[in-house]
Amino acid sequence: MARSKRFVALVAALAALALVVAGCGGTTETGGEKETVTVKIGVTSPFTGDVAALGLGIKNGATLAIDEANADPELQELGIKIEGFFVDDAADPKTAVNAATQLTSDPKVVGVVGHLNSGCSIPASTKYNEAGVVQVSPASTNPKLTQQGLKNVFRVCTIDTVQGSFAGDFAVDKLGAKTVAVISDSTPYGDGLADEFAKQFESRGGKVVSRDKIQLKDQDFKALVTKIQGLKPDMIYFGGMYTEGGLISKQSKEAGLRVPLMGGDGLYTQQFIDIAGAANAEGDIATSVGLPLDQQPKGQEFKAAFEKKFPGTNIEAYDTYAYDATMVIVEAIKKVAKEMGADKLTTPAGKQAIIDAVAQTDYDGVTGKVAFDEFGDTTNKAITAYIVKGSAFVPYEQ
Amino acid sequence: MHFNVADVPQQLVNGLTLGGMYALIALGYTLVYGILLMINFAHSEMFMGGAYFGLLWLNILSKQSFFTGSAVGLVLLYAISILLAAIMTGVLGVLIERFAYRPLRHAPRLAPLISAIGVSLFLQNAVLLWVSSRSIPFPVKFPVYQYTLARDGSGSLAFTVLGASDKIVDKLGQGAHAIVQFSTLQIMIIVVTLILLFVLDTFISRTKLGKAMRATAQDRDTAGLMGVDINRIIAITFFIGPAMGGVAGIFSGMYYGNIKYNMGFIPGIKSFTAAVLGGIGNLRGAMLGGFVLGMAEALASGFISTAYKDVIAFVILILVLIFRPGGLLGESVVEKV
Repeated sequence: MARSKRFVALVAALAALALVVAGCGGTTETGGEKETVTVKIGVTSPFTGDVAALGLGIKNGATLAIDEANADPELQELGIKIEGFFVDDAADPKTAVNAATQLTSDPKVVGVVGHLNSGCSIPASTKYNEAGVVQVSPASTNPKLTQQGLKNVFRVCTIDTVQGSFAGDFAVDKLGAKTVAVISDSTPYGDGLADEFAKQFESRGGKVVSRDKIQLKDQDFKALVTKIQGLKPDMIYFGGMYTEGGLISKQSKEAGLRVPLMGGDGLYTQQFIDIAGAANAEGDIATSVGLPLDQQPKGQEFKAAFEKKFPGTNIEAYDTYAYDATMVIVEAIKKVAKEMGADKLTTPAGKQAIIDAVAQTDYDGVTGKVAFDEFGDTTNKAITAYIVKGSAFVPYEQ
Repeated sequence: MHFNVADVPQQLVNGLTLGGMYALIALGYTLVYGILLMINFAHSEMFMGGAYFGLLWLNILSKQSFFTGSAVGLVLLYAISILLAAIMTGVLGVLIERFAYRPLRHAPRLAPLISAIGVSLFLQNAVLLWVSSRSIPFPVKFPVYQYTLARDGSGSLAFTVLGASDKIVDKLGQGAHAIVQFSTLQIMIIVVTLILLFVLDTFISRTKLGKAMRATAQDRDTAGLMGVDINRIIAITFFIGPAMGGVAGIFSGMYYGNIKYNMGFIPGIKSFTAAVLGGIGNLRGAMLGGFVLGMAEALASGFISTAYKDVIAFVILILVLIFRPGGLLGESVVEKV
């Protein structure tokens, strides 16, 4: 009995110690002349699992922005230090809601960059709304996210209505496709994008010969490919992410169905080509939000800074968007700190002021001019098509 | 809902390949259940582990020019990699039994089940942390052909072999279309699976060791009294099942082109289902169950709906269990009271 009591006491002591350690790092520290206020920007995306390539890209882009912000004399003048608080959402809606809870329960978190997946952003956005913290998604493209009427939710990427209809026009005008087999991955992002595509493709006189939904983590699409092959479509459109997209591309070409597979920004990563195999992916097309990096206003600067910080790492689809999303929050922090004082940033009133400041954003980012409409959607409507040539995505040129 | 009768032969081939992999994995569930009445939930990680061991050996052996220089070398490269990986997976299975299950052999029946779930999580996370959380490409270094039975341009039957970039119309004229195609990989998977199933079945039913295994399955204590070394029999069971599962893992890697730390979960659940469908504890039942499930999935996917293919597969399972609670071929295990 005494032993078990001692054991319980030990566990309790350890737990208390862990809490103390975890709680460190948010304290104000004296930096020379004046007090420095530390505020945190939450960054959440899938850092593990099937779509980690894109999620880790978001982490890299945000890290770069936070580093640059901390080197900004204006912020130093205001006595503000910004820390990144990185939480993995594993591309899973339940984990994403937990991540949102974790982020919002830290009073130092004044804004969140995330999530990658629309299926994660949508449920998590209510958490951020309850906590009165601004959410800026770099990558969630499903229209529903900003149609919930939540005033704290913004995104710097183009929505699927724009991307899907662009893809529909592209398939008709550039690829000359008359028939298409449409597949999507049963997620808000994939289904939404595929539906938008199909709508536009049909309105332009094209024919959707089949409409199938697959499940995430499926590997075997041979049966589906066999069925589609019998329908002889001119192309396949896939709404979803690169793992399943790569497998569908591979298995369809191997079965002798040699038509291009087209998809959205979820396919726009080197990993898609690796999974499909370069020979199979050749000629496949992915649309992605915004302009190619080289054509983005500050693309070259970003590239140079990125290569310096993360040598040998590929720049993924959303790195620049994550950078801009983070910078939008940083700009808002600056503005509010000037108006209310840095020490007010972490109060509810300060966080509300940050939301209002983000709504008023007028910022020249890497991806172009960043400003938001009344829903919180970006006013930047650019979409680019990329085609796989010689085992890499290159901007499509006719 | 979309039924195109011309697709049926090809869907059967798709189902046969998938079913072969399920059957190989299902054996492990059934053998262990037969002997220990325990569901080894770590078995799905044997499938995953086999794939990683296979890749390890492929990478090691590919460094020798002998293995990559000639057709014979390539065949040997894959044969030896698969064999070594199967042995390693088998040894891993034996170790898991020794340290995670044997101490619990006389504990309540839930204890080893929980232990197995723990082992499964441990192995997944070990690969996630020490290897990678991402998909790793699994190389197929030999050319893959499509062996095609077709109707040529004039509508008569023809047989042709298509390479990766050949078009059927170039070979057989305009209007030619395939009736059914077997790829090199599909043939390899189906043939090797059938050989392994036959060998194992013969081993269990015709050899002395097999007899000892059957005796242990029937009544462990009595078999022990008759001079059967129970621990050895159980160790052998935990070698064979994982080794077969490991081979299935390598096949999966080759067939789908990549492997991942959590690749075992879904095939594991499906194969366990296949074992139950055939009659858990019954070896031939597991094989039959695997093929039935693979076929059901391919046909449901091709003719009804991809989104509902798992639903359909499990509806079949439930229907079978309602009418035949012991599975298709019934249990070979006498339920101990």
